[in-house]
Amino acid sequence: MDLFVAALVTGVGLGSMYGLLALGFYVTYAVSSTVNFAQGSTMMLGAVMGFTFGVTLGLPWIVAILLALVACVVWGVVVEAIGVRPFARRGSDLWLMATVALGLILENVVLFTFGKDPRGMPQSALTAEAFSVGGLRVSLLQVTIPVVGLAIAFALHVLTRHTRSGKSMLAIVQNPDAARLMGIDVRAAIVGAYAVSGLFAGIAGLLIAPLFTVSSSMGTLFGIKAFAVAILGGIGNPWGVVLAGLIYGSAESLITATFGSTYTQILTFGLVIVALALRPDGLFGRAGVKKV
Amino acid sequence: MSERTYAARASSPPALYAAIAALTLGGGVASYFANGYQQYVIAMVAITAIVGVGLNVLLGLAGQLSLGHVGFYAIGAYACAILTTRYGWSFWIVLPLAGIAAAIAGALLAAPALRVRGPYLAMVTIAFGFVIEQSAAEMKSLTGGWNGIMNVPRPTFAGLAMDEFGIGVLALVLLAALLVLFARLRGGTWGLAMRATRDAEVASQSIGLALVTIRTVAFVISAFLAGIAGALFAILGNFVSPESFPFFQSITFLLVVLVGGAGTVLGPVAGAIVVVLLPEVLSFLAEYRLLFFGVLLLIVLWLVPEGIVGAIGRRLRAADARTPQSDENRVAAFLATDTSGSAPGSRDGLVVDGLAIAFGGTQAVNDVSLVAKPGEVTSIIGPNGAGKTTLLNLIGGFYRADRGSVVLDGVVLPKGTTYRIARAGIARTFQTTQLFARMTVLENVLIALRRGGLGGVREAVGQGADADATALGCALLAFAGYRGSIHRPAGELPHVDRRLVEIARALATRPRVLLLDEPAAGLGEGDTKRLGALLQRIAKRGVAVVIIEHDMNLVMGISDHIVALDAGRRLVAGTPADVRANDDVRAAYLGEGELAIARSAARSESSEIVLAVDGVDAGYGPLPVLSQIRLDVKRGELVALLGANGAGKSTLMRAIAGLHRPVRGRVLLLGREIALLPAHRIVRDGLTLVPEGRQVFSELSVVDNILMGALALDRRAAESEVERLIARFPILDPLRDRRAGLLSGGEQQMLAIARGLAARPKIVLLDEPSLGLAPAIVESLYRVLEQLRSEGTTILLVDQMARLALSIADRAYVIQSGRVVQQGSAEDVRNDAALEKAYLG
Repeated sequence: MDLFVAALVTGVGLGSMYGLLALGFYVTYAVSSTVNFAQGSTMMLGAVMGFTFGVTLGLPWIVAILLALVACVVWGVVVEAIGVRPFARRGSDLWLMATVALGLILENVVLFTFGKDPRGMPQSALTAEAFSVGGLRVSLLQVTIPVVGLAIAFALHVLTRHTRSGKSMLAIVQNPDAARLMGIDVRAAIVGAYAVSGLFAGIAGLLIAPLFTVSSSMGTLFGIKAFAVAILGGIGNPWGVVLAGLIYGSAESLITATFGSTYTQILTFGLVIVALALRPDGLFGRAGVKKV
Repeated sequence: MSERTYAARASSPPALYAAIAALTLGGGVASYFANGYQQYVIAMVAITAIVGVGLNVLLGLAGQLSLGHVGFYAIGAYACAILTTRYGWSFWIVLPLAGIAAAIAGALLAAPALRVRGPYLAMVTIAFGFVIEQSAAEMKSLTGGWNGIMNVPRPTFAGLAMDEFGIGVLALVLLAALLVLFARLRGGTWGLAMRATRDAEVASQSIGLALVTIRTVAFVISAFLAGIAGALFAILGNFVSPESFPFFQSITFLLVVLVGGAGTVLGPVAGAIVVVLLPEVLSFLAEYRLLFFGVLLLIVLWLVPEGIVGAIGRRLRAADARTPQSDENRVAAFLATDTSGSAPGSRDGLVVDGLAIAFGGTQAVNDVSLVAKPGEVTSIIGPNGAGKTTLLNLIGGFYRADRGSVVLDGVVLPKGTTYRIARAGIARTFQTTQLFARMTVLENVLIALRRGGLGGVREAVGQGADADATALGCALLAFAGYRGSIHRPAGELPHVDRRLVEIARALATRPRVLLLDEPAAGLGEGDTKRLGALLQRIAKRGVAVVIIEHDMNLVMGISDHIVALDAGRRLVAGTPADVRANDDVRAAYLGEGELAIARSAARSESSEIVLAVDGVDAGYGPLPVLSQIRLDVKRGELVALLGANGAGKSTLMRAIAGLHRPVRGRVLLLGREIALLPAHRIVRDGLTLVPEGRQVFSELSVVDNILMGALALDRRAAESEVERLIARFPILDPLRDRRAGLLSGGEQQMLAIARGLAARPKIVLLDEPSLGLAPAIVESLYRVLEQLRSEGTTILLVDQMARLALSIADRAYVIQSGRVVQQGSAEDVRNDAALEKAYLG
């Protein structure tokens, strides 16, 4: 039973991070039907920047975090400008490959500057075991992570369903020209979405860094799983995305606890295929209006 | 040049075969003189190109993106390694088996993969790739786990063990054969079918193509080739392990196709050369290789998006302007051919009995029955939201009826399977034309001629389009009235031609019933008359023609039988005279016939100019569309902008509103220069455009759509605007929370206009507001416009229905070929001969 709860706690924490990263996919997709496919590398950038500013340069943590997030936001804007806009503008789907190329470039640049060896973040008050959950000791960080994830999902949900500016964001992807005629600055909205997406990735990276080691390759698999989560959540639904993240993370964790880590990836990815076969619009998605 | 030779050359020109031979020879020769390592690289180029050819079928032809092809590659490699090392089988037997193993996996993956679209498909394929890689790592007893399988034996050929050179030659020869097969496939029926499903899914089914089968075949072919390549890889390196098959390799394969040019024959070769050779060439950069790779890829994607071969091909392709030859007899014989599938001796035509369907609580079609006899034109009329298009969709199989039946010549049609119904002899056209945009006009018709029967393997890689089919296709195009080039990409056609080609395509399936959904929408008077004549000619050939239309002149002029619908039910059915005299129909739909709008007295001349357009030129690239346009709109005026289709009216509206940039000349809104401003800024200055074609936000509700129009107002003001507008357009009241995409065409049009008015603009531009609206609705719409005008709203109106527009306008401009040819008071313009000429010319 203890094992089960421990696995669940880990799973929820990991899952909310998948969910947070996946919300980055959601935000850009909801506005422009494009994503930064290499979102994982942006997350890595956040972690690496956080480590560099906070540990290597020894800046105060608040400053380090802020600078790391700024770096991620800037990178998000850069990705949109050179990796997405040139292709989306001509109606091409090549932004998918272009963002992959950018992710590759970022990873390698970090590899040469940061070095090959993974670094561990120092322990701090955040990571010390402070609480008791179901008989298990958890740290403040492990509690913070899901809270942050859910809070952001909630904010997005309220924004897009209940405020006019939120709805106008959704309107953009449905009909960009009509949106322009409503006075919506479509270009600014898309750039903004990518900036926000970068911000989410940065936050995820900073929250994860103390739990794992920081290295240039930490983002790839994470990003792919986050993409799976976004898809499963029905990429048009922020709650669905976060929920899917929690489910995915918990599933991963529980499978590892039960069967050992060898079959985790096979089973989780296998389940993704099955889930999409049964529910082609994602677990929580809704089929778009189809008219002929 | 004879038809046959032309057809053959078009799909596989001799130059292409020469190029393939040259590349193969070149690769072989280079390998002969190279050292061992270089021979290895050359072999890898060929092997990677083979995967590329397969992926080219899936992505380049069928348009399906796979990010998990490394999985098939791995299956082939492991199958080869396991069967040769553990069971000692000969490589020559194992090679095809490796392909088959991968192909089986491809067929299995296709089942879930084809249920999903876009990024969902990407995810399924990614997951597949990971599952295979991880399975290879975990199934230690079978695959050796992370240690892999070593000492995969090299096969022998003529007694000698093959070395890198031998394997390279083998790979090159296979590659050459596959390139030839790909060229034949692309130009043949299966290639056309795949491209059709890529360009327009629904339309491809409406001509009888079995979507799932075609895509599964594409998947299986691409998996098979990846498997073969994997086996070659296994014997080349003598070693397979999971490390050779990471996720990144799938990206590499994709890049091979994209960099080379998706859909081109030689693309995968160029792509493989770039992707495999370049890192070798750059090996001096050692660790920075990947970085350079990424940068290079980005540059290629930016500068040559259609791929290297695609870019070259575009430059070399000569423009071919052959127009179709007319051959009425051939068409007549073709359409009259008796097809199997009808009950013997029965030519009852289309008998619809008690069809019904409900969507989310609304009964869209309620117990509708009708009969459409062969040789007759049957028209379905009714107000917007009456269920006309839904009825057509039910007959065509796009929707599955809850109740009722559709019987064609005595045979009951299956429910809800579009392609089977198409094959049974029902063809259709769509409200917005659904041509296969990236295929030529001729290809659009050619694939329809097959009526879904694509033939077997021999046909798939046989000769390209045969001369007979080409001649028949041309005859059909000519019959439909198409006078343009048959080799023009369908996506580039102007509006009228799109409709004609779509009709020709529908006829190519040799239908017994032809369903047309608002075929005259967007056509001027002259074109509409020609369309009417065409439809009658088609009916004379024995086809049962069923059309939905709002143009009453057309309907009354050509119909033998009319069915009137309202609110999902049938009101009346009978001859045009019967229906015209029917009171219910009159009330619900026809209106008074003559627009009985009391035009308010001419208002005192206001001299303030709200909008001034001065010397405006605009075009699309080098193509000029507008020339030195001068017009102005004074406060409180309603100015009409008239002209035939293609005259440039919509372009002018978009140019004024800021959607079309750049424009030369000046556009002044209340004295402010707006010609350089983007659309979203112009709106804030008080100019709203209600664009052509009902551009609503389909996923937002009706109320939210209107709120979008009022973003500039604060929340309370916006909400009261919503109420005001719903009061002005009461048809929207019961639809408040409905998703706008589910509304009928006319309802959407009303919504678009309401949305445009929400911001209380200083001037409203309306582009074709009456398009697709029933006559009674048009009347009420114009009543609203007249009301707005009398309240002092400034309006610039574009409408096909010139007389209607003139009846409420103060002044009018007539545009022809991008120039203003006439202007003056509405009275003057109405009486002027130039107007007739501009429309009917």
